[in-house]
Amino acid sequence: MIIPAISAVLIALGLLFFIGGAVGILRFPDFYTRMHAAGKGDTMSMFAICLGLAVYQLQDPTPAHILVAMKILLIALFIMMTSPTSTHALIKAGFIEGLKMWRRKDRKEKS
Amino acid sequence: MKALGLIAVLGTGLLLLAASRDFPNWGDPSSPASSYRLSRHFITQTINETAVPNMVTAVLADYRGYDTLFEAVVIFTAGIAVIGILRRYGNRDFIPAGGEVHLTPKQPDLIVESTVRLLIPVIQIFALYVIAHGHHSPGGGFQGGVIFGASFILLALARDLRTAQNWVAEKRMLILACCGILIYAGIGVLCQLLGENFLDYQILHRILPTDPVMARYHSILGVEIGVAFTVTAIMFSIYSNLSSNGQMKEGI
Repeated sequence: MIIPAISAVLIALGLLFFIGGAVGILRFPDFYTRMHAAGKGDTMSMFAICLGLAVYQLQDPTPAHILVAMKILLIALFIMMTSPTSTHALIKAGFIEGLKMWRRKDRKEKS
Repeated sequence: MKALGLIAVLGTGLLLLAASRDFPNWGDPSSPASSYRLSRHFITQTINETAVPNMVTAVLADYRGYDTLFEAVVIFTAGIAVIGILRRYGNRDFIPAGGEVHLTPKQPDLIVESTVRLLIPVIQIFALYVIAHGHHSPGGGFQGGVIFGASFILLALARDLRTAQNWVAEKRMLILACCGILIYAGIGVLCQLLGENFLDYQILHRILPTDPVMARYHSILGVEIGVAFTVTAIMFSIYSNLSSNGQMKEGI
């Protein structure tokens, strides 16, 4: 009973971070801040959701279920490695190409 | 005009929804697809005839081996066509509609390179696992080949095309692609030489130290390896040709 509750809380936390990332992509003013929201939100939420699914597998700890949980944790590990790297590569590419950063004064020009 | 389009879309959608009610339910044992005797044969006899637990792999590589052979040939032909077109016409100066695009030359990046260095061996081992484990779980030559090709594409994206070309030269990749098709068709011809139909693997027990059932099992693995060779090589050569306009020099 307690294990499904833990996994539900973890998955709900992950979905919350996903919503944060999606709102950030839509609402933030420029490329850098949007990538910031997408990179951080997606990494954290994928990690939390994978952890929740792995915990759910462990409520019946037979070797087969433990193997599935290990595979899910491996996926989480690789997402933790690749997602920040791709965010870094995209932002660096934008920076090298001379994309302008958003300043507070831009807000007046827009509106 | 817009209203007319909306009415047409809504009408088609409603018709499709109405028609979807006539579909059999998921996994319905009395639906035509499940009750036809061919399906019953595959479901009950696959494990006895080929010793492969994954029915999809057995059907793909054994029962309809012809189809899969020419699927691999289609991929091969696509790769050859891309190379043929881009080598002939790709070296003309290509100027996009909005004027010429100047890309800043690529700079080495420590973070990206370290991550890629960590990831590529894992990706390649996983690709081999997918190829070899196709008998027991979803996977096989096409999927594993795509994963293996993606590892080379990742290298070309993270460093540059020249580095990837130093690892696996274009010429060697194309030889690998031809080898894949030759392995697949060669297994088929071998069956013919031993006096059976093309791609009828069970006769191979005369040269393999196994019984006819296990001969089919092992031949499926051989065929998957051939498919994986072709898909890996063609994936990478399509990427490297498209990204460098057939020049194999700069690229993205």
